[in-house]
Amino acid sequence: MNRRKFIIKTNSYVIFSLSTVCAVGAAVPDTALLPFDAGSLATLRKSHAGRPFVLAFWSVYCEPCRDEMAEWDAVKRKHPSLAIELVSTDAPADRAQIDAFFAKYPPGPVQKWIFSDAFAERVRYSVDKSWRGELPKSYFFDAAHRVEVKSGRIDRAWIESWLARQASRDR
Amino acid sequence: MVIRVVAVGFMLLAWACANAQHAGHEDAARVELAASAAFDAQGVLWVVSKSGGHVMLRRSADAGKSWSAAQAVNAVPEGIGAEGDARPKIALGTRSEVYVTWTQPLSKPYSGDIRFARSIDAGKTFSVPLTVHTDRQEITHRFDALTVTRDGKLFIAWIDKRDMIAAGKGANYQGAAVYFAVSDNRGASFGGDHKLADHSCECCRIAMLPRDDGSVLALWRHVFEPNVRDHALGVMHADGRVSAVRRATFDDWAVDICPHHGPSLAADAAGRLHAVWFTQGAKRAGVFYGRLRLSGDGGVDALRRVGGEAAAHADLAVSGKRVVVVWKEYDGTRSRLRAMISDNGGDTWRERDLLATAGASDQPRALTHAGRIYAFWNTQREGFTTTVIAP
Repeated sequence: MNRRKFIIKTNSYVIFSLSTVCAVGAAVPDTALLPFDAGSLATLRKSHAGRPFVLAFWSVYCEPCRDEMAEWDAVKRKHPSLAIELVSTDAPADRAQIDAFFAKYPPGPVQKWIFSDAFAERVRYSVDKSWRGELPKSYFFDAAHRVEVKSGRIDRAWIESWLARQASRDR
Repeated sequence: MVIRVVAVGFMLLAWACANAQHAGHEDAARVELAASAAFDAQGVLWVVSKSGGHVMLRRSADAGKSWSAAQAVNAVPEGIGAEGDARPKIALGTRSEVYVTWTQPLSKPYSGDIRFARSIDAGKTFSVPLTVHTDRQEITHRFDALTVTRDGKLFIAWIDKRDMIAAGKGANYQGAAVYFAVSDNRGASFGGDHKLADHSCECCRIAMLPRDDGSVLALWRHVFEPNVRDHALGVMHADGRVSAVRRATFDDWAVDICPHHGPSLAADAAGRLHAVWFTQGAKRAGVFYGRLRLSGDGGVDALRRVGGEAAAHADLAVSGKRVVVVWKEYDGTRSRLRAMISDNGGDTWRERDLLATAGASDQPRALTHAGRIYAFWNTQREGFTTTVIAP
């Protein structure tokens, strides 16, 4: 009886953590990567209700993305209250490359995610119907969640100007 | 008992992960859809795709209704690039040769080698893979493309960063370069490495088109001053010469970006060039068809938008005056394979829905054989599909 109960408990733990384990593989990762799917942006909009946030997509296969990592690090350290959600569009199979990439080009203390659905069109469409997967691609949501879209490598001056606009709206 | 509990847990985990797609997720770990396809002169359809460390070859004698068992091209497993525009490629020679290329990623980010294997016994056996380029730095040699000319010469082109490395970090060398190598002995060896152009985009497929005079036209995404990622055309010759390098599209997409969304190119009987490409330029954004002018200052005729705002990864094929563009387009529920058909060389068009899938899918390809045009599409749920575009 006790044994049966133990098995059930263990298995319910396994099922409960399934989305995370399936998304990132069974090995203990160096960096926690949350699974990003077609429902994730709606969840983020709720959790950041009334506050601005940045949703930034990148890949280990994207060269201009490399140069953005230091920008996110610097922006996050200068503006710790700004939520930056950094999403890898890679597959879980690319996990080792992602860890190596972060070791070399650390993006700092931003929230990190990875696509958890191989049906990538479904995930992209949930964010932006006209996004064909080009990278880097960043979405800047203001406090009312009106969005400004930036394609390609982003420069620090533009991020600071967007942040200044958010600050002036607050006043 | 602990071991048994752990084992049961892992079994359930494996089962649950394997079935995760039924809960609205395609299992990202198992999806290897990137494939290339070509018909040979007898009408046999050949396909290469990636499975783990192997390029796998399959063939169909009935235009995709049934397939042979998969056969490994490389006996020893190695890394094979198959993300975005990267994928194994296949071309058929004029004397039953089967030529296969792929990019082997190396340990440094964005680095790779262009690998090649051939069969000269109609696919029964393959040579040990070789590296095509003589430059052996651990840098970018990626996005292989290959074609065979009418006189049987094999051209392989790729994106190469040796000139950017040589220029040094302070030089601000834009993008990469396009290099090529040619084999005139059925792939036994290659003469190269020849440079087609400096300053290509870093991560888009290269389109190649053999010409009657034995040269090969290439269309690729370029980086024009200061950072405009429109397309360029150029001619590669078997002796390594390069001619007629010019700008081909004029959308003004000024951005440092990695589109993984390269162009396609085909010619009609009159020698007119038909192309499809993707841009998010200042002048227009989306997927476009146009006829590329070879004379004068260049330019685009019969420019036309392909599909809607989610249209992606178009390819095209030409047979006589018929031009067919195929592409995929997500509609909020399914990815649809669509076609745009012209019977007058691209002046007027009609559209057709071909297929739809509710899961992950590869880029579609347009193929020709014996005057007919086919759409080839690899999807997670349906596998290889081959659809003839009815007259």
